[in-house]
Amino acid sequence: MSTQSTQAPETIILSKRDNIAFITLNRPHVINAYNVKMRDDLWVALQAVRDDADVRAVVLSGSGDRGFCAGADLTEFGSAPSQTIARQVRFERGVWELWLTIPKPFVAALHGFVLGSGMEMALLCDIRVASRDATFGLPEVGLGMVPAAGGTQTFPRLVGMPSALQALLTARRYTAKEALRMGLAHAIVERERLLPTVERLARRLAQQPPHVMALARQALLHGGDVPLPQALELEERLAVRAALAASRG
Amino acid sequence: MTCTSIRLTTDGSVAFLTLNSPRTSNAITAEMAAEVAEACQAVRQNDGVRVLVVTGAGRVFSAGRFPPAGLAHGEAGPAPILERLRRLRVASHIAAVEKPVVAAINGPAIGQGVELALACDLRLAANTASFVLPHLQHGLLPWDGGTQRLPRLIGLPRATELLLTGRRMTARQAVAIGLVHQVVPSGQLMAEAKELAERIASAAPIAARYAKEAVLKSLDLPLEDGLRLEADLAVLLHSTQDRAEGLASFAQRRRASFSGR
Repeated sequence: MSTQSTQAPETIILSKRDNIAFITLNRPHVINAYNVKMRDDLWVALQAVRDDADVRAVVLSGSGDRGFCAGADLTEFGSAPSQTIARQVRFERGVWELWLTIPKPFVAALHGFVLGSGMEMALLCDIRVASRDATFGLPEVGLGMVPAAGGTQTFPRLVGMPSALQALLTARRYTAKEALRMGLAHAIVERERLLPTVERLARRLAQQPPHVMALARQALLHGGDVPLPQALELEERLAVRAALAASRG
Repeated sequence: MTCTSIRLTTDGSVAFLTLNSPRTSNAITAEMAAEVAEACQAVRQNDGVRVLVVTGAGRVFSAGRFPPAGLAHGEAGPAPILERLRRLRVASHIAAVEKPVVAAINGPAIGQGVELALACDLRLAANTASFVLPHLQHGLLPWDGGTQRLPRLIGLPRATELLLTGRRMTARQAVAIGLVHQVVPSGQLMAEAKELAERIASAAPIAARYAKEAVLKSLDLPLEDGLRLEADLAVLLHSTQDRAEGLASFAQRRRASFSGR
């Protein structure tokens, strides 16, 4: 399976092995900078992954030597016809919102530069494995922007306010080791072991029953946004659904 | 109170709740859960008790049973399942204790055993302890607060990984990510737990309860409301004898002796 586009080079490669889908950012000559074409291709790939019942886990990685994704392609900035249209497109083709509705686990394989929207894509994944040489950062503020792929919301929820404010306000870069300490990366491996490690992890996730995987991710994704008593009620509803399915075999 | 599957004892101002079904690895049953509820109620009502320690008899802290007792195949519908899950709960009873609660995790905590430990305020672990949430591979989801307390305690990334993969974690790994506060050699666990509990018990009991309440609610309240709660609790303490005793002991350079009033 692959994306349908034929006119332009594919900015996203989608492939499948067994129950695992592999989404690869594919603009290696610009460290996989995220541009409008990549947004459209990613939109298609995410829908394919969502709709393919065989897919139980997704691996996200970047092609090329230099990095996972160096951020948004700044050469295309300002190319939207107007701010109003840019905003309209942002929500009509809400890649990040779509991403969060996919009931399947994502594992990110992060190497080299993981910056800006690259970092934010990693933050939308469930588990992040980094190669030893990975560098993380949100440089937006230094460029007169704010992260706009969910970073201002996902980062503090994942690693806490102190690290989030430091990363956003200072726009500093973090080594893989620092990312590990922060909880941003779950593990660090040598570059050549990155994809095998991530694939093994994805296989482990793919072995879990898909319906409970989806319920567990809902509990984690939504439970943190409400006070504990409501969060426990959410867990109870989801746990009953899981137990009901289990008891019916 | 006559208990068959737990033991509730007191030593000075510290109460010890021991899961006491070592032959079944302290797996939680509806009967045990009812006894835990009763014990927690007794601890709450006993003014002589200032700190509760929760531990397990034998080599295992508490192993979940999959499927849990009373949740076998062929259930009728959501209502009886909900009823059964509720009857199996222990973490919510522990969490309802306003006094500080210390978990002395004497060995593996599996499934609901982890959730029980998460409902305590401080966690000491024996070096033989380990932690695993194997629910998903059994087609189940944690039902005793695990999916919500784990991310609140150790952060969403690590909680996600542990829950989704069902990976087992050693005591050493658990202390590295803040899931347990300290790891001690197995033979010293109860002595360390007792010492820690007594240190907490030597503080002013109402202040300790209010501190616990304020910190736990900090996660659930907008900052403005949390600051208001903190201020209210601080002012309430002005009316206690213990606050006067605390200030006097400081001025007189002696150890304070708190009455809990």
